[in-house]
Amino acid sequence: MTKISTGKFSLEDLENVQITINNIVGAIEIKAEEEGIETGPTPKPGVSGLRDWDYKLLSRYQPIYTPVCDQCCYCTYGKCDLGGNKEGACGIDLAAQQSREFLLRVITGAAAHSAHGRHLLHHLIGLHGRDHPIDVGPSNLFAPNTQLVTGIVPRTLGDLEEVVAYVEEQLMQLLSTIHAGQEGSALDFESKALHGGMLDHVGMEVSDIAQISCLGMPKSDPEAPLAEIGMGCIDSTKPVLLVIGHNVAGVTYIMDYMEEQGLNDKIEFAGLCCTAIDMTRYKTDDRSLPRAKVIGSMAKELKMIRSAAPDVIVVDEQCVRPDVLDEAKKLFIPVITTNEKIMYGLPNRSNDSADQIIDDLSSGKEPGALILDFDLLGEVAPRLAMKMAPIRDAKGIKSLPSDEELKKLTSACVQCGACELVCPNNLPIMNAMVAAAEGDITLFEYLHDHCIACGRCDPVCPKDIPILNVIEKAAQKVIREEKGKMRAGRGQISDPEIREEGVNLVMGTTPGIVAMVGCSNYPEGTKDLYTVANEMLQRNYIVVMSGCSAMDLGMYKDEEGQTLYEKYPAKFLAGNLINVGSCVSNSHITGTAIKVAAIFAQRNITGNFEEIADYIMNRIGAVGVAWGAYSQKAAAIGTGCNRLGIPVIVGPHGSKYRRALIGKPYNEEDWKVYDARNGEEMPIPASPEFLLTTAETMEELMPMIAKNCIRPSDNNMGRMIKLTHYIELSQKYLGHLPEDWYKFVRTETDLPLAKREELLKILEQEHGWQIDWKKKKIISGPTMKLDVSAQPTNVKRLCKEGVC
Amino acid sequence: MVDTTKNTTIYTTWGSRSAKPVQPLVAAKLISKAKRPLLVIGADALDSGLIPKAIALGKKGVQIAATGHSMQGLKGHDVNAKYINIHFLATYLCDKDWKGLDGQGSYDLVIFLGHKKYYVNQVLSGLKNFTNIRTLAIDRHYLQNADMSFGNLKTEDHMAALDELISNL
Repeated sequence: MTKISTGKFSLEDLENVQITINNIVGAIEIKAEEEGIETGPTPKPGVSGLRDWDYKLLSRYQPIYTPVCDQCCYCTYGKCDLGGNKEGACGIDLAAQQSREFLLRVITGAAAHSAHGRHLLHHLIGLHGRDHPIDVGPSNLFAPNTQLVTGIVPRTLGDLEEVVAYVEEQLMQLLSTIHAGQEGSALDFESKALHGGMLDHVGMEVSDIAQISCLGMPKSDPEAPLAEIGMGCIDSTKPVLLVIGHNVAGVTYIMDYMEEQGLNDKIEFAGLCCTAIDMTRYKTDDRSLPRAKVIGSMAKELKMIRSAAPDVIVVDEQCVRPDVLDEAKKLFIPVITTNEKIMYGLPNRSNDSADQIIDDLSSGKEPGALILDFDLLGEVAPRLAMKMAPIRDAKGIKSLPSDEELKKLTSACVQCGACELVCPNNLPIMNAMVAAAEGDITLFEYLHDHCIACGRCDPVCPKDIPILNVIEKAAQKVIREEKGKMRAGRGQISDPEIREEGVNLVMGTTPGIVAMVGCSNYPEGTKDLYTVANEMLQRNYIVVMSGCSAMDLGMYKDEEGQTLYEKYPAKFLAGNLINVGSCVSNSHITGTAIKVAAIFAQRNITGNFEEIADYIMNRIGAVGVAWGAYSQKAAAIGTGCNRLGIPVIVGPHGSKYRRALIGKPYNEEDWKVYDARNGEEMPIPASPEFLLTTAETMEELMPMIAKNCIRPSDNNMGRMIKLTHYIELSQKYLGHLPEDWYKFVRTETDLPLAKREELLKILEQEHGWQIDWKKKKIISGPTMKLDVSAQPTNVKRLCKEGVC
Repeated sequence: MVDTTKNTTIYTTWGSRSAKPVQPLVAAKLISKAKRPLLVIGADALDSGLIPKAIALGKKGVQIAATGHSMQGLKGHDVNAKYINIHFLATYLCDKDWKGLDGQGSYDLVIFLGHKKYYVNQVLSGLKNFTNIRTLAIDRHYLQNADMSFGNLKTEDHMAALDELISNL
């Protein structure tokens, strides 16, 4: 039988006929077999492919719904009031509607990342060809999410096309279920959401490994260079070229043009959001200094524009405010859109000459231009910035009020409270107005960092006070001092690093990985991130950063003037601080957990999702923290972590994602697994206690992190270390000994060394445990045994044959 | 006497059902008549002068769920307070089999004080739609998703309203 391969074929005797074979049924398995790779049971799972695993997760971590809206307005039967969990006209109830809404958030986020990946991949294949090798650093396992989910072991850019195609097809299937009259079960919507989250990590991984391989970004480099960050580091005496978004493809052309034309010192080149991070990664794999500065997260977008400092704004995609063009127009700042996802109604100038475009924009004939040709973009943006700066200077363009105007504006406030009512964080704006009218601007300085610059306050003021501008003007001194350092994203954790640290993670002697990811919608300003990261680093946790959180962390310095990036090393070791990179680099965090299973535990990961997720959930003490999560992408990232058994804590604004997955520690039956050695049921500690939840304050957050790094596989040293941190953080930040600490004790050696005697007394007196005081040993009481050889699993089929 | 029912402006809407605005005296009667009331004190109570009010309510015999890090302000004041994450609390309250913080059973009235309005409104949304437990918000903001709520109040009026409520328990 003839063996058919993929490719393009012509048929003899038939002119103008070409057959293209893209995919062959069973090709993944055949290729894996040829390469000696064992494929697990679920390569490229469909929507129901991992449903059994999802149902296991959802039986312990049941959804709790907190609707943002009690109504459904999806079809013309409605609007339907589903309040009180009523059914709407189509038959859907409120719980199912909430899970449908959550699914929609997740696949929207996954689509944003994956479409970003598709765009990048298409672009990079155009430049480098399909055969360009994937090179992400000193690893053999360089696409762990991809390999785990799809069974594909990609070697080249071309191999990634099949991966993206799978993600796209699955996302389309999931999107179709949002339609009226499709799914009716909340739990099945949840399973679909988990599927979407998993796909998100594959899409992100494709994006990042493609750009790392082609754009000279650091490759698993713990010595990736430090970049300048903060509004205060911008030198506005030079022409300022500002980039906003997430997709660095077009921006690299601007950087190359500036380099070629010797403009690096003549133009202040800065970025907002994840494009900024990737600008600092571009061509720094030789550890050269980044050529761009980072301003910060989305919360700085409106503030930066209204500072009037930018002379040109270039936007690409994701987390770019829809009002950028309107705001920029007011300040005569031309806007260039570069990606089909954001075009702002601007004329497509991709086929015009650079001179024509520059003339039209600098004269004000057009407020901006859509330029999809990156060569043209590379030339236009810097040249336009050079031209605009003197024009704008000559016009004396400013946006913020003068000192005198500030006093007048704040005195006009009538204390109606309208601004505070609409403020997402309920900031005390009225008090700050009163104080400022009397010459005290310190309250506004305080508000600056707490304000996410959404601008909702401006239009509701009955006195037309431009409140956001007032905050920014009053906080000028603070803004000028906003100068920090951020380590450029280093990409993946390498295989050798996993080999070195994996055992400590699984045994618990490294107390855990705290992954601080996501956006800037914090409940109490950016400094909480610093406080939490610093505390956990001092306690030897591995702290991993990405995206906006990675940026905001770099804004604070200790008493010696050092940021945490300067203070802590960046290897994958206990007490190290790692920035993996931009939003799409989040895939390396889940990738790290997968690598531990593959490299340390020698598990087969290829197309073997359930077994690996089960391993991660029971053995790897990792907690995700998305303290300022605002976006659909953050929902997708968190949900992808959840399907792998990694718990995630979001800040209080995260309650608006509408649903959490929270366990019930008081239901003892929920906290049992099988011991794969003999198939017997074994009790486990209620940790992770949740898969997704919120915390109210950073003080509450810290002991939650410590507790939820506890895993059944901890050895006694590991459990002692983790329990020590849980108890100490509870005492330090909540002011009490946590009520449930004793539930994690299996033997006296699990007890914190310094408190052992005190805690033994409590165990005896308050919990009725028997203690041998001579030997200081626990005789009876614990519900769990310490058995480091135990093989905890939630999956019956993974028990030794014949015992389950 | 403070009129706590006047300003019920909302900044966004969750649905067609809105909390009934209540006066302090009515709130006090509701609490007094409840068989198993639970007072949920949030961390915002720590910086807004509400902790003494929470303690005063606790001393009237109302059990306290201390959320966030509000426990810091409640310890050592001889009140029946226990820490719990508010999202966990909402989950457990939706479970008819939950035995409560003290093992004596769930609650028939849950009272909220010292919370971020956007956060507690989400918690209340869950309770409103998926339980039959009555909820009462005595914060400074009108909380649409409670069954009963104070209106939007200035700080000094809020304090006076709480004093009136406490004195009528």
